[in-house]
Amino acid sequence: MNEGHGLSAYALQGDDGPVRSEPPAQATGFGEEQALEHIDALYRTALRLTRNPADAEDLVQETYLRAFRFRDRFATGSNLRAWLFKILTNTNISRFRHISRESGDASLDEMDESDLYARIADGGRGESAEDELLSAVLDVDVRQAIEDLPEPFRLAVVLSDVEGFTYKEIADMLDVPLGTVMSRLFRGRRILRKRLTDAARSAAA
Amino acid sequence: MDCIEIQTRLEQYVDRELSSDEAAEVQAHLDACPPCLRIYQFEGSMRRLVRRACSESAPEALRARILGGLGPGL
Repeated sequence: MNEGHGLSAYALQGDDGPVRSEPPAQATGFGEEQALEHIDALYRTALRLTRNPADAEDLVQETYLRAFRFRDRFATGSNLRAWLFKILTNTNISRFRHISRESGDASLDEMDESDLYARIADGGRGESAEDELLSAVLDVDVRQAIEDLPEPFRLAVVLSDVEGFTYKEIADMLDVPLGTVMSRLFRGRRILRKRLTDAARSAAA
Repeated sequence: MDCIEIQTRLEQYVDRELSSDEAAEVQAHLDACPPCLRIYQFEGSMRRLVRRACSESAPEALRARILGGLGPGL
């Protein structure tokens, strides 16, 4: 019932157009219902980015307006979810200016490995004990810990850990190299791990 | 691979970003090394915790507003 507004015209090769000798262009476009299947994922990501419901709603609404305005640039059959998320993150930068592309990057080489050694020296016992405590951490505290992350880290963590995008998809979405995605994820998760284990400990105390 | 090498690849392993050969190596190590296995399980618990906390749905009103705003002519 939400199909309409001539959407199907985008998905079909025009049969009333001039005859062309070159191969037909790839079909483009998508339906409203198809796009709205992703609204929950876009909204919860917008919530993490903007950190308040009113801005998150504005961001999602603007994302859909842009998506439909430019839907003939979307190749039918490609990854609509990733395409919508790319619009979301770009809209967030251009309109809401929550993200500085420059900040927070470091190569994997720069990363401090000392915590890895500490974890292994400990035989993973700390993790084992904290694992049981993690379930006591409240969702609201988890969300707060995520929202306290520096923005480039936060976005990478949400796109990977919550939304399950691959490194490659995230790199394409954010127009950054794969190594940058990995570095942001690695560092963001390290901060998050510390925050959540601290929260788990204080919940148990 | 020793424990340190395993640990540097653990997140990529959890993210399913390793080649199948590398993933098999990590899996074999985890099968044989309880400390690394504990750290791996902890990583899994972290992911589940994060996903559970971030599972909000969009308000119905937002959905309706978007559909309404995409009226004929857009």
